[in-house]
Amino acid sequence: MLFVPIYILILLVTILIDYVAAIYIEKTEGHKRKFYLVISIISTCVVLFIFKYFNFFNDNIRLLAEVAHWNYSVQSLKILLPIGLSFHTFQSLSYVIEVYRGNQKAEKHFGIYALYVMFYPQLVAGPIERPQNMLHQFYEKHNFNYDDVTYGLKRMLWGYFKKVVIADRLAIYVNAVYNNSSHHNGTTLFVATLFFALQIYCDFSGYSDIAIGSARVMGFKLMTNFNRPFFSKNISELWRRWHISLSTWFNDYLFTPIVVALRSWGKLAVVFAVLVTFAVSGLWHGAGWPYVVYGLLHGIAVAYEFLTKKIRKKIFKNLPELVVKVTSTFLTFTFICFTYIFFRAATFTQATSIVHKILFDHGKLFIAENNWLMIYASVFLSILFISDFIEEYGSLKSLAFYNNKNLFIRHLSYCSLVIIILLFGVFDKNQFIYFQF
Amino acid sequence: MEKSEVLKQLNEIFIDELDNDRIVLKYETTANDVEDWDSLNHIQLVVAIEKKYKIRFSTQEIQGWKNIEELIDSINAKLS
Repeated sequence: MLFVPIYILILLVTILIDYVAAIYIEKTEGHKRKFYLVISIISTCVVLFIFKYFNFFNDNIRLLAEVAHWNYSVQSLKILLPIGLSFHTFQSLSYVIEVYRGNQKAEKHFGIYALYVMFYPQLVAGPIERPQNMLHQFYEKHNFNYDDVTYGLKRMLWGYFKKVVIADRLAIYVNAVYNNSSHHNGTTLFVATLFFALQIYCDFSGYSDIAIGSARVMGFKLMTNFNRPFFSKNISELWRRWHISLSTWFNDYLFTPIVVALRSWGKLAVVFAVLVTFAVSGLWHGAGWPYVVYGLLHGIAVAYEFLTKKIRKKIFKNLPELVVKVTSTFLTFTFICFTYIFFRAATFTQATSIVHKILFDHGKLFIAENNWLMIYASVFLSILFISDFIEEYGSLKSLAFYNNKNLFIRHLSYCSLVIIILLFGVFDKNQFIYFQF
Repeated sequence: MEKSEVLKQLNEIFIDELDNDRIVLKYETTANDVEDWDSLNHIQLVVAIEKKYKIRFSTQEIQGWKNIEELIDSINAKLS
């Protein structure tokens, strides 16, 4: 998760390979097409594997070797993960696959293709774009457009508010607790886990707002990445609302091919494809078992929802709609928080011990530094919640702060947001969480 | 087969598979218009359609339909 100048060569090599491969895929037919596709996918994935997964697999093989008393002496690599590698690798893969499927023409202009992979607003942490949405935009002429500029700047302002005012403030508490989890009781760990769920939402959706906003200022439209995920009523819905560019990527390029190939298995094909997709999606986040467990937990939930859909529908039919809605949203959010324990914990053992403590070891809540952190968190989270709530239930949309029809309220919200960011933002060079992936 | 006939039959398959008798398919209906028609249920629908007409779609076709009309055209192309 570091920018090392020499790493620009990695980008250059993958860009070159995929650029050439796509042209050949388009030019040729039959088995040769598949051959170029496979070459391109393998070489792109090898780069990702070496930098991100080699040590993980190597360590696991070594552990296995110790158990089985084999002689295994392959050393770990001492390399840093290039920033944004997982993101632009997936964006490159999307390009060659779409060319192979005939949905996108191979890009002949090397500069334009390189720009597609390296477009800076979304290079380091997405949204992971599709060639159909991006490439044509690079050919269009972009004049100054007042609406684009103001929309983009507003979106960025809101993103900075989520990141530096909420996420980085919550991070102080989450880090203090999670980095010393053995010293804290279940009550504190429960609050820290709840804060982490809110932190990661504000951190990543805030980043996406900044990316989408900065692209829009220049006249480029990036895809939606978050759609108020915590209002989801089940986990399947969550993945249509959370990190949409990644979940649709996995849906199009991993889940669907598996499920189509195995469809004669019936429902089992869906369950199998869901579990594989979510396990890989967990691993995409980081090379570690807790991430795999995080992914699998979501996979199990989605599979469960798929298998019990009809029964649940029948049960819910007899209950008041509001009760079903509120209960489902609450249970979904609780489950999300539970899975984040595995996402945030350093090891699987730490995660299970945290789960155990949350269930059985309650006590006095740890208050970091002073009460202000909790007060700030509550106030600013309330602003976020009200805003999201207004947007979620469209009939109230005109009430939203900075989209308000009333000029005075609109300008007052811009000024207040800037002042809040300057006064209450945390400016201690905190990275975005997703920069590490 | 008549397009409208296929549409009618598809409507029955959708009602059955998605367990929702309020579904009314039109030619321009897309997955976004039908509750519960997501990528998980999509394959269930495909399997039911393949069984009904005794045909088999390619991966490309399964991922390519933009609306019900394209699906109907695809079925008719296989049947003829």
